[in-house]
Amino acid sequence: MSQIKSNKKLKWSLDFNSKSRSQTAEIPSPPGYSQSANANYTESSKDSDSQLLLIKKLWDVALAPLKQVPMNMFIMYMAGNSISLFPIMMVGMLIIRPTKALFSTQSTFQMVEGTQAVGQKFVYMIGNVVNILLALYKFQSMGLLPTHSSDWLAFEEPLTRMEHIGGGLSML
Amino acid sequence: MCIYEDQIGKFDWRQTYVGRIKFAQFDTVSTAKKIIVATEENVLAALNLKTGQVMWRHVFESASSGDIQLLHFSDGDKVTTVTGSNPYLVRGWDPTTGVLLWEWPISIIDTERAHLSEWWVQNGMLVHLLPAFGSHLEVTMYNLMTGSNRGATSKLPTVWTNDGCILTPPYYTCISGNMGNYMLLSLDVTSNAVQIISKPLSNYFSEGEVIEGNLRPLDGKTSQPGFIIDDKAILLIKNNEFEPLNVRLADQSASATFIDAISGPMLVQAWSDENKGLSITAYNIATNTEITDMQMSGPKINIPEAELLGVLCINTAREQPAYRILLNGADDAVHLLQQGGRVVWSREESLANIVAAEFVDLPVSETDAALESEFDQKEAIKVYSSVWAAFVRRLHTQYQQLHTLIQNLQGEGAVLDTPSPLVRDYFNLHKIIVLITDVGKIYGMDNLSGEILWQRYDGNLNTESVVMFTRRSARHPPHDAYVTIIGKHEETGNGYVISLNPIRGTLVGERVLRLDVRLLQVALLHTVDAEKLHALILLDEDETVQVLPVSAAPLVRDLYMYVADRETGRMQGYALKYDGRQVIAQRTWSLNLGGAGARIVTIAGKSRTERVHSAGKPLADRSVLYKYSNPNLLLVVLERPDPTHKDVVTAVAVDAACGAVVAASTHRRARALPLAVHSDNCLAYLYRSDKHRRLEIATMELYEGNERWLPAGTQFSSFGCARAPSVERQAYIVPASLTALAFTSTEKAITDTHLLMGLSTGMLMELPWAYVDPRRPMTLSGEPREEGLIPYAPELPLPAEASLNYNRTVQRVRAIYAAPSGLESTSLVLATGLDLFYTRVAPSKTFDLLKDDFDYHLISIVLAALIVATYSTKYFASRKMLKQAWK
Repeated sequence: MSQIKSNKKLKWSLDFNSKSRSQTAEIPSPPGYSQSANANYTESSKDSDSQLLLIKKLWDVALAPLKQVPMNMFIMYMAGNSISLFPIMMVGMLIIRPTKALFSTQSTFQMVEGTQAVGQKFVYMIGNVVNILLALYKFQSMGLLPTHSSDWLAFEEPLTRMEHIGGGLSML
Repeated sequence: MCIYEDQIGKFDWRQTYVGRIKFAQFDTVSTAKKIIVATEENVLAALNLKTGQVMWRHVFESASSGDIQLLHFSDGDKVTTVTGSNPYLVRGWDPTTGVLLWEWPISIIDTERAHLSEWWVQNGMLVHLLPAFGSHLEVTMYNLMTGSNRGATSKLPTVWTNDGCILTPPYYTCISGNMGNYMLLSLDVTSNAVQIISKPLSNYFSEGEVIEGNLRPLDGKTSQPGFIIDDKAILLIKNNEFEPLNVRLADQSASATFIDAISGPMLVQAWSDENKGLSITAYNIATNTEITDMQMSGPKINIPEAELLGVLCINTAREQPAYRILLNGADDAVHLLQQGGRVVWSREESLANIVAAEFVDLPVSETDAALESEFDQKEAIKVYSSVWAAFVRRLHTQYQQLHTLIQNLQGEGAVLDTPSPLVRDYFNLHKIIVLITDVGKIYGMDNLSGEILWQRYDGNLNTESVVMFTRRSARHPPHDAYVTIIGKHEETGNGYVISLNPIRGTLVGERVLRLDVRLLQVALLHTVDAEKLHALILLDEDETVQVLPVSAAPLVRDLYMYVADRETGRMQGYALKYDGRQVIAQRTWSLNLGGAGARIVTIAGKSRTERVHSAGKPLADRSVLYKYSNPNLLLVVLERPDPTHKDVVTAVAVDAACGAVVAASTHRRARALPLAVHSDNCLAYLYRSDKHRRLEIATMELYEGNERWLPAGTQFSSFGCARAPSVERQAYIVPASLTALAFTSTEKAITDTHLLMGLSTGMLMELPWAYVDPRRPMTLSGEPREEGLIPYAPELPLPAEASLNYNRTVQRVRAIYAAPSGLESTSLVLATGLDLFYTRVAPSKTFDLLKDDFDYHLISIVLAALIVATYSTKYFASRKMLKQAWK
């Protein structure tokens, strides 16, 4: 079985080593091709391009949370203020995702060094914080935040009594 | 509220009683042998002769219209009763089924003398005798079944009659004449010819004996007319002649009856002595011999003031006839005895008249007690000097626990037969109910089975205004639980204090204490002494204070007492202080509630054990409406006649410490009922509205408002704040007639409270407080709706499914007692009346308990299967990974 497998493998494999060295011998450049000039150009353009692209990409990443804000607002609006399973799950996701993202900021921007890294990080964090605040606002409007005195009622110590009474209808 | 069919009898039990037996007749002809009884509680019932259980029962009106005047039953006949008090009802009942067969009324024109009427049945005729003392006797005979009068009333001239005369059907017997030359006169009132038997009384007494001339008839159903003179001589009337018996009454208090046994007419006597116990003698008249096999005496059976209700002589296949003796005691218990003194069965009929009940915790088991003492800090310091000692003890207790566990596993089968030991269970659902009955008998009852664990009769205890305090619970080993009952002495009216161990029924501590003064009121001290005992504070008639035990006097502090006078409506408050030598009661406040002529109908205070752990109610806007929970608050319901409004009912919430009136309301043209409850900040009372001719319940709730007056966890003082709480009020129509009212009570009052109502129909209803909540809004919109308040509807719903006792009717519910259990959700309920009914209720559903039908097997199988599946998949997964890695 392994034999067949290996045969099959061979059928699809390319062996670059088996080619003879003579084949890779020098082939004249096409006309009008200047190796030196081209090399120079590519060198510079490639470098600045990728840098720009990276910055652009990273700005995209950094702005993503902020771009999500309108979408989140719409979701929240649709979810309504009733406390049932789906709205709770939605709002839960809304708060968990930015929080997770905040904690993983460092790893998201790991490959970045440069002038705009600080700004990007800052924008990214701002975006997530805005999302979290939005989610908290939703929690608040749903009444899930323990901000009222009634939420802490169960933990209030009962009053103790100072005077004690006894008695009743006359036993005479 | 509802239960499933298979839960019937699982948490509840009912015991049926008939009350103190007045008349009893044996029915030996029917296939099921029984005793037909008529009782002081106006109950006609048939008791199984073998077991004493009620076979059928009819409960008549509790008022005088239900009084049973006559019970007649002769073998093979129907049961006849005469009930009521002018007009009388004559009814016939089928002895086997208790079905009513006929009924006809008699009304007596002479209403003033109607209560002197005597009734008996003779030859299928009902005879009515109405004496006019010193003048004549009126005798009327009626057909028993139809009530048709046989002729006119015959008037027999008898100038010699007086109020000491007795009737021994058909003879009417009197002692007449002056002291020294008494004449004994007797007359057969049913015979056509008037024949008076007249003999000087001294004929039946020896020379020199002092003759007082008291007549007493023989007890039970006698086969021949006979009577007892001066508790000494026994006379029979035979062939129109007095026939003195050779035997005299064995004891002054002896109860005697005359029966026809196989061997001849027989006189049976029974009496009880405090030291010697019960004695029974039987004497054969024909042969003048004592019947030895009927004789018994000894302290084995103690029936106080035994009274013969009836003696039955059964012919058995063997030579010896069998006797059954039915005895009634002063403690209302009825016993059926065999010859030889063996008790066939006993019925504790005094339980039909319970005046006070208290649930008492059971002690923890020995191993648990050891464990508790081990972790008790103070105890631990005393016992262990080092860590090693503690370690050794820990090992020892653990060994003990293991040992008991193994024992339990081994003897699981055997344990089921023996009754469960009297130790506290995990949820504290198993308790002892201490019951005080009207006659002064005290019982200890197991709440799970309803079995009587101990009983104690004290004839000196007058239970008119009896109170009971649990002075020490069983939570403090090695000290035993301690319950004190304070009543009045039967004869003197002075204070009478009984202290018992509620678990075993033995006397402890002060035992039985006869005070030499009358008591005004009693209170329990809130602090405990060194022995964890709450002292008893007794306020005397002359307002001096006694403390029991005396050593606890220095502990008296911050204690206030109040005494209310029922008839005048006056309330007096006292402050109790220890002045270095003794405790003195200082008058502090006095109130005259309800105006002139008002009388207090009832006072409802908070339960002594009440602990409230919820400070307020959350509203729809999520703010808190704080409760005004004043622990010293009382609800006083008064009634006052009024010239314009007939009667006025006033309900006042009074702070008993400072005498301040916190809330009040009045209802015009209404009569108050002695039904009021009070718990936390909720007050409820009932009144009958004369205007609308219906029963109404008025409720009040007291609130502080949206802000706390005092910060949480601080001390509440009645003197501390001058602010008045806001009072919410509402009234509802109760579409039933109530005889008892109570609140459910749970350990921390976090669970909802429900009202428990006893209906005159014999139902026990559970009504959520939400239905009588005074905050029920008129219109349902906005905030109240979000809060879950039900819109106001004047009539309360009493659906059949709210009944606690499903089809087990509880006759004449008099009171409902609720006690907390160890589970916050569950409250234990005992309803007393003619019957006893016990159950447990969960007002907010059993949120802390698995459902009764929870499938433990299924969940354990699923859990085991999941564990097996997890481990097996783990194994298979790792094997697959290994295989893949090799590829």
